[in-house]
Amino acid sequence: MTDLRRDSLGLGLRVPHYDHLFEHWPDVGHFEIISENFLGPAEKPRRNLARVRERYPVVLHGVGLNLLSHEPLDEAYLDALCRLADEVDAPFVTDHLCWTGAHGKSHHDLLPTPYLPELVEYAAERADAVQRRLGRPFGIENLSTYVEFRQSTMSEWEFYVSVVKASGTWFMLDVNNVYVSSENHDFDPREYLAAVDFSRVLQVHLAGHTREPDGTLVDTHDGPVCDEVWALYLAAWQRGGPFPTLLEWDARIPPMPAVLAELEKARALRTEDEHRP
Amino acid sequence: MNGSTRAFLSDFQARFGAAVCTPLGRRTGTLRALPASYDRALLADIAGDPARAGARLAVYNRQYWFRLFGVLQDAFALTARLLGYWSFNELAARFLREVPPRGFDIDRVPDGFEQFLAGAVSVDRVIEPALLLEAARVDASWRDVFAAPHVTPYRPEPADVKLLLASRLVPSPAVVVLELHWPLLELKQGLASDPGERRLPQPARSTRAEWWALGRTPTGVGQRFLTPREGELHALLRRHSVGEALERLEAECSPAERATLPERAREWLARSVEYGFWIGLERNS
Repeated sequence: MTDLRRDSLGLGLRVPHYDHLFEHWPDVGHFEIISENFLGPAEKPRRNLARVRERYPVVLHGVGLNLLSHEPLDEAYLDALCRLADEVDAPFVTDHLCWTGAHGKSHHDLLPTPYLPELVEYAAERADAVQRRLGRPFGIENLSTYVEFRQSTMSEWEFYVSVVKASGTWFMLDVNNVYVSSENHDFDPREYLAAVDFSRVLQVHLAGHTREPDGTLVDTHDGPVCDEVWALYLAAWQRGGPFPTLLEWDARIPPMPAVLAELEKARALRTEDEHRP
Repeated sequence: MNGSTRAFLSDFQARFGAAVCTPLGRRTGTLRALPASYDRALLADIAGDPARAGARLAVYNRQYWFRLFGVLQDAFALTARLLGYWSFNELAARFLREVPPRGFDIDRVPDGFEQFLAGAVSVDRVIEPALLLEAARVDASWRDVFAAPHVTPYRPEPADVKLLLASRLVPSPAVVVLELHWPLLELKQGLASDPGERRLPQPARSTRAEWWALGRTPTGVGQRFLTPREGELHALLRRHSVGEALERLEAECSPAERATLPERAREWLARSVEYGFWIGLERNS
């Protein structure tokens, strides 16, 4: 399996950046692909991926596993995911602690459930099966959420930490999502970070979000990382770094140099922290 | 696996999923979520300020529709711009209610939209239905070519010459032949330099139909102009053996055209092989 530096700084691989990438081959520690974009037979995405893989480690990040659905896991999807992970020799594969479809329909969104002990067991069993099937580390990402449910008997982080622990899988910790949920549900994001075992963190995600007119934060990945999320990232680094870090930018995508400059802020923040007395 | 956990999820996800897919309202002239139409029991389950529960659920409701509208607008970019986004989204919403997304691959969501349009557009629309359907054909063809898997183009062996007339050429999934009555490829290519949602003016109908081949290139999707008879031959070759296609084409030709048809047909076939139109030769059973 390809090694990834523990302090690697990576970017989400996005189509608008291919021209710049293939001309300049910038100094990026690794790229993360959205798994589903490369599971189909289309030739061009696979050819582009092969070119990227020749120069950089590639990790897989999925949005279609449907871990918390009432439906059985999609065997064909898992087969294709395993083939792709093997093809790029991915250091790890990640997806979300959520459901994306039910009753035969796909909602193509990362949807929450109540936080309940019985769902910990359910999700953990399925996550363990996925990790075994992949034969490589499988990381679970925390969500940005806009609703919580009265039935919940655990906090979001208790639920998340319990699923990872019970399944023997790993954290794919998104600090922007922690921040978005903390604002939407009025909890202390540092309490969330304190619950995470950083020795089990495969990667940390950074991204931008949007504030709706009613104050709700929405995880849009359409802008730079805000100061509060940078502060939370630094807090995570101080608590459990080094860990691979990945910047996601999925909408209103600026030219690649701008995205690289945003990623460099993570390096600068870490360097500044090292030199702080 | 605990059956009651699965049953709990099944019930919860049916109720939450219904809210996520609730159609957006159009009455105000913009697409808006309608929280008043959400299941009251589900709203009561949402923690926090009850007055904000509907607005919070509406985030998922809007995301569902706008994400899928975006996928359809990208896949049927020319159709969307000719129709205008407001009218296009209305058709897209009807399509998504009839054919809700299934499976993990969001790029498959537009599958069947072209066929849906054929049954959905009517003469009272803002655009001539035949133009709209032809634009959808162009968009769908572009998408098919892009999504085609890697294929090895057919290269004839000397022994194939004897078999050719009685055999069928197997079309490459990476090449589509189109008969167009409006200059839609030009319009489609122009979208790259004219992004946005501005509705395109309806183009004038061409004086005569044009035949084009769309095919994969190293950088994306390319197009080749075909002469009318060449285009007709390719359309026939997709349904018949080479011999039968040539016979049918010959029957359509004037005496003057017939005189040069054998030579021209050889040229067209050679060109099609060179451009990778085929992936094999099948003996006609």
